[in-house]
Amino acid sequence: MAFRAENRHGLSESPYEARLVARFQAGEAEALASLFEMHVDRVYAYARHLLNSREDAEEVASEAFLRAFERAAGYRGDSEFRGWLFGITRNLCLDRLRQPRLMLLEPEAAECAAGDPGDTDRIDTAVVVRRALADLSDEHQLVLKLCDVEQWDAADAAFMLDKSVQATKSLLYRARRALRRRLAELWDDAPRGQARDGGDE
Amino acid sequence: MRCEEAGALLDLYLDGCLPLELSTKLDRHLLRCAACPGELRSLEQTIALLREASSPEQPSPSFRERAAARLQSQLAGHLRSTSKDDVGRQWILPFTGTEG
Repeated sequence: MAFRAENRHGLSESPYEARLVARFQAGEAEALASLFEMHVDRVYAYARHLLNSREDAEEVASEAFLRAFERAAGYRGDSEFRGWLFGITRNLCLDRLRQPRLMLLEPEAAECAAGDPGDTDRIDTAVVVRRALADLSDEHQLVLKLCDVEQWDAADAAFMLDKSVQATKSLLYRARRALRRRLAELWDDAPRGQARDGGDE
Repeated sequence: MRCEEAGALLDLYLDGCLPLELSTKLDRHLLRCAACPGELRSLEQTIALLREASSPEQPSPSFRERAAARLQSQLAGHLRSTSKDDVGRQWILPFTGTEG
């Protein structure tokens, strides 16, 4: 995870990004494409982690970009494009999570079936880690996914978590220890033959 | 440096965010301490296991193209307001060459 200078919102928009927004507002199509490429991976990843569905994440990401660009197109003055985009993404995800939905299982079984027999230990470990992660609070899961898996800036993660940067860092540090503790519990509970060698606690 | 102080710095150390002076002090402590190196290793290992187990699922190959087409359709009015004659053809190109 990397840290960088923050503005009053905790987000830092580079001069290059600000120029792209201004060019988009003037109607330049290439600026729109550049802004899309600049943020699409993170917008999708955030939605994917939160919604646990590729299809839902794609729909949310597409809608979030459209709304953010529409807002920027009609706005005069310095646009907080990144803040709009991330805020819209977060709200769309939360709206979707409030809707009744079918519970789908993660495709772990398919991964096991497709793997090389020599990868059994690695797959077993991954299954336990995912289970340990799933046992954590939603907030702990999300901060770990954003900061340690996706390796986002603290300021960007803080915005998505609706927290200060300092609170986000504290949350991350507690989440790491909670995950470590849960992993140790799961491996301690495992039958002797399945226990992972070289426990970390 | 005491273990309690060292423990509070381990995450910053792992994230590469510890100022040089504190990092040097922590390095010295880690060389002398029996417990803290294990604490550091277990945190490193936890993060490594998490990354290995959580490889994010990529969007479908057509996602960028579909999202771009939707933006093109919905925002055509705004983009046509420029003086360029062939805006639509120009701005779809950057998306189609970057399939994820």
